[in-house]
Amino acid sequence: MALLLDILTTVAILYAVASGLLLIFGVMKIINFAHGAFLTLGAYASLVASNLGLSPWAGVPLAILVGALAGMVVELLIMRPLYARPLDAILATWGLGMVIGQLITLAFGREVQFVASPVQGTVNVWGTDYSAYRLLLVVAAAVIGIGMAALLTRTRFGLITRAVIMNEQLARGLGIHSGAVRFITFSVGAGLGSLAGCLITPLSSVDPNMGIPWLMNAFMLVMVSGASMASLLLATLLFGAIQVVVSTYFSPILGGLAIVVLAAITLRIRPKGFARD
Amino acid sequence: MIIPALELKDVESGYEQAMVLRGVSLQIAPGEIMALLGKNGMGKTTLLKAVIGYLPKRAGTVQVFGQDVTHWPAHRVARQRVAYSPQEQALFAELSIRDNLRLGLSSDKGFDEGYAAMTEHFPFLAGRLAQLAGTLSGGEQKMLVVARALMMRPRLILIDEITEGLQPSVITRLAASLRRERATHGTAMLIVEQNVGFALQVADRYSVLKRGEIVAVGATADPSAEQIINSQLQV
Repeated sequence: MALLLDILTTVAILYAVASGLLLIFGVMKIINFAHGAFLTLGAYASLVASNLGLSPWAGVPLAILVGALAGMVVELLIMRPLYARPLDAILATWGLGMVIGQLITLAFGREVQFVASPVQGTVNVWGTDYSAYRLLLVVAAAVIGIGMAALLTRTRFGLITRAVIMNEQLARGLGIHSGAVRFITFSVGAGLGSLAGCLITPLSSVDPNMGIPWLMNAFMLVMVSGASMASLLLATLLFGAIQVVVSTYFSPILGGLAIVVLAAITLRIRPKGFARD
Repeated sequence: MIIPALELKDVESGYEQAMVLRGVSLQIAPGEIMALLGKNGMGKTTLLKAVIGYLPKRAGTVQVFGQDVTHWPAHRVARQRVAYSPQEQALFAELSIRDNLRLGLSSDKGFDEGYAAMTEHFPFLAGRLAQLAGTLSGGEQKMLVVARALMMRPRLILIDEITEGLQPSVITRLAASLRRERATHGTAMLIVEQNVGFALQVADRYSVLKRGEIVAVGATADPSAEQIINSQLQV
């Protein structure tokens, strides 16, 4: 049972981290390599809220706000001039990630810091005592997933966003301001990245480079998922489960490599990954 | 003085280094249907892309109902109630008929009214709102493209080779719908075509585009129109 719960919560965390990256990839057709830095921003927002003595939950809205605002600034100043040069845009996000990391180091130092969990204790699940906070993350990931699915399929903004994802030129010819869609999407994606950073903070230490391993896993999951939230869930379930099994029964180091290796093999066999034809 | 629905003056446009349109001028009055004819590669599609704002104009001006839209992005031109139906990839195949039609409107308000009107134009749409657009037949897809364009109650429609690969019965229905739309709402249209018969059936006037230049203009009611067009297309 503990293994199943580990798989469930690991999948939830991975999904929360990768969802913002997927959203940006779907609309803008670029991988945002600054996603790990947005995640780190969220973690430090949580740390600041904690250090200020605010409610343990105050980190959540603060992280979303910081991430979304950073996303707005980045989209306006860095991404927008590079829309016509996608490769340069991707390189720019890579550089931006390093810049944000250095700025965080300047502001907070290199030392590893910790944030207390807003939920303490364990919950008994069918005879197994399990971390209440990790279980809460499953709920949070479900809310993120359902919220994004509802946004994309139940609202006019979602319809417009899907139109831009499928055929941006045609969408523009129908009066859709694809630039505005990109701006909102990038901001929401950055906000989701920061939210994920805030949520995982009680489970790990906070340091300026904490986003990098998460970025690599999220990047590979998005690569095998195309632009589909459902494919992302499938890839995360499968690869996340294998990661936990390998970490538990073989080696945590090998487990840490599992997603990257599995994604590379999947893309070698099927270039579209889990995406539909 | 009547303000033209569309007016191009000495427009030059193309792709990167390749100049395709070389000083094109044409004018369409409100409620008028013009057919733009020409062989493949003469610049017909390029002209529509330049009007809607997909391509930059290197010289000349484009006005829609008196508004200079020469350097406007496509979404701003479209919001002047200009409907554009491209020749290829004109639908969102993975979206439903309902969602494709919704995208023809600036908001969901008015969908029911618009949809009811479209089922009169194209009865096959009735009761199939949930069907994916990509699963429709070729003819049905073309009709859905036109239906989406008409949903916004446009002032000007730009249509690129809508009849290509269609059965005569579908072409007849499309021709009837376009003429009915013009008669009902006074919609102006610029129809790019290679099907001379369809063009003469639907349009009031024609222009022939050759190597990026307008080489012939006339009324379709002119008994010699077909002969003039064919002679220009054969040269």
